[in-house]
Amino acid sequence: MATTVTSADGDGGEAERPGRAEGRGRAAGGRSVRTAGDRARPAARRTRYRCRQTAVAYLFLAPSLAFFAVFLLLPLLFAVLLSLSRWAGFDLADIRPAGVDNFAALFARGSSFLTPVLTNTLLYALGTVALALTGAVLVAHCITHLRFQGFWRTLYFLPIVTTVVAVGNVWKYMYEPGGLVNGVLNALGLRSVAFLQDPATALPSVVVVQAWASLGSAILILTAGLKAIPHVYYEAAELDGAGPFTVFTRITLPLLRPSLLFVCVTQFITGLQSFALIIVMTGEGGPGDATNVAALEMYQRAFTYGDWGSASAAALVLFVLILVITLAQLWLFRRKGADG
Amino acid sequence: MRRRGRVPWLSYLLVGLGAVVTVVPFLDMLLTSFKGPGEYGRLPYRFLPEAFDLSNYREAFVRLDLPLLFRNSVVATAVITGSVLLTSSLAGYALAKLRFPGRDVIFRLVLATMMFPPFVFFIPHFLILVHWPLAGGNGLLGEGGAGLTVSLAALVMPFLVSGFGIFLMRQFIVSVPDEMLEAARIDGAGEFTVWWRIVVPQTRPVAVTLALLTFVGAWNEYIWALLVSTANPRLMTLPVGIQTLQSYLDPNRMVPVMMAGLMLSVLPVLLLFLLLQKHYIRGVMLSGLK
Repeated sequence: MATTVTSADGDGGEAERPGRAEGRGRAAGGRSVRTAGDRARPAARRTRYRCRQTAVAYLFLAPSLAFFAVFLLLPLLFAVLLSLSRWAGFDLADIRPAGVDNFAALFARGSSFLTPVLTNTLLYALGTVALALTGAVLVAHCITHLRFQGFWRTLYFLPIVTTVVAVGNVWKYMYEPGGLVNGVLNALGLRSVAFLQDPATALPSVVVVQAWASLGSAILILTAGLKAIPHVYYEAAELDGAGPFTVFTRITLPLLRPSLLFVCVTQFITGLQSFALIIVMTGEGGPGDATNVAALEMYQRAFTYGDWGSASAAALVLFVLILVITLAQLWLFRRKGADG
Repeated sequence: MRRRGRVPWLSYLLVGLGAVVTVVPFLDMLLTSFKGPGEYGRLPYRFLPEAFDLSNYREAFVRLDLPLLFRNSVVATAVITGSVLLTSSLAGYALAKLRFPGRDVIFRLVLATMMFPPFVFFIPHFLILVHWPLAGGNGLLGEGGAGLTVSLAALVMPFLVSGFGIFLMRQFIVSVPDEMLEAARIDGAGEFTVWWRIVVPQTRPVAVTLALLTFVGAWNEYIWALLVSTANPRLMTLPVGIQTLQSYLDPNRMVPVMMAGLMLSVLPVLLLFLLLQKHYIRGVMLSGLK
């Protein structure tokens, strides 16, 4: 018995692998039956098998690794190189070293990068998170009391599967004097607002849309978090005579904290880097610089003005900002895990 | 549990109100797309069109090269989705079930790729494609021509592999029982056969999820497609093409036409989502936030 198993294994070169052989009751005894010659051959086969498996594994990984080399590693190096050079053309031979000039220029007096661009970026991200989180907490909390939860969640999900061009344009024209939002305002007896044309209201108007569009996924994650809260807590609170508001603030919110934190941080990071919606709704980030954000500034410096160097520098500054937040997030969640 | 018995009026009110705010822009898009010439922009605002006028859709066809836009969108989305599925499955299998030196390092690298925000890559990716050697009239050092920006390849190249896809596949393939793979190997199957005959069929549920996420992402992609088509207008996708409408003439005439174009671009994805929403929603849960 033992020999048949060994030879069957040996054919495939699988002698040392667990699995089917074990199931047949191949025990320590199997090995002792072998002759000296048998013992040497599986070892060689094992090495050959290992080599073959390594080769196969790298073959399977080759497309992905090649891709990461050309579209991840090389671009990162290229971005750093560009940020340290002066280059305003398409001929690679024209790249000139510039040290940290590009970074210095970004933070120089009178540069618009710190204010209003970076300030706008932070306001945009913070505003989105605040709005989306408040809305999502309320809706997710209420949904758990309702029937047809899947139906409601699907509704809130529609903006997420829609292109930013559709979302941006529909809202842009709803904000126009002849659009839906002003139509509602007028019907209520209020005067029209030039939402996107007025520097004071332009940024908040886009923030509302970004929050509207990201509500669905926040609701999804918060509903999952709510479902994970053990029901006994609510029953205990009810026995103690706690009202709905107390239950919400004393039980739901504290126990939901991990999900809240997750949604908060990931949406904040998404907010810091988004600019597609702004391009669609306000074009150049106008009026003036009222809706200009860092990623859009990078985009324009590069593709409108062909200034690859300062554009790459802007991108790297934003990247470092996001990296710090991401690392802080990882650290925060690791600590959360330790807390339980 | 007892609270279920009471009708939660306040909850219905709030969730319903939120749902209205979510759905109304879509309705407005649909209804505006049927508004006749001169109807949009007239005050006071009217939600419903006077008559369901189809001329905006006709106008969208006249103004835009819709067959080209559709073709570009469909080809790019199909190629990206196919490639992401294939490469994720292959790499996921290697990382989950094969033993080889460097595996942990590569897995960590894959995880790390998910940390990089896309905007960092817009500039270098564009320049790499422009200077792609021996393409589009370029020399060996990538000088002289337009590189890959002349072809549809430019639209898809940066999206062909997904770190998240590899991660998702790997996590799923780990749970495929070793015994099944072992049995196939004993029957004389090579690793490629094991992957194709055992792993691929076993991972169908997660493949649907990944395909759907990738499909929706690729179909709706805007910034990269905009960039590439600035270099070569023949590469415009649906979202980019429709956005060009806004530079035409009178906004009161153009807005309904634009809404008609947007309906055409949004409908396929909405239908697919409504059909397969469970798979999509699971994907969003797995990826945290999309």
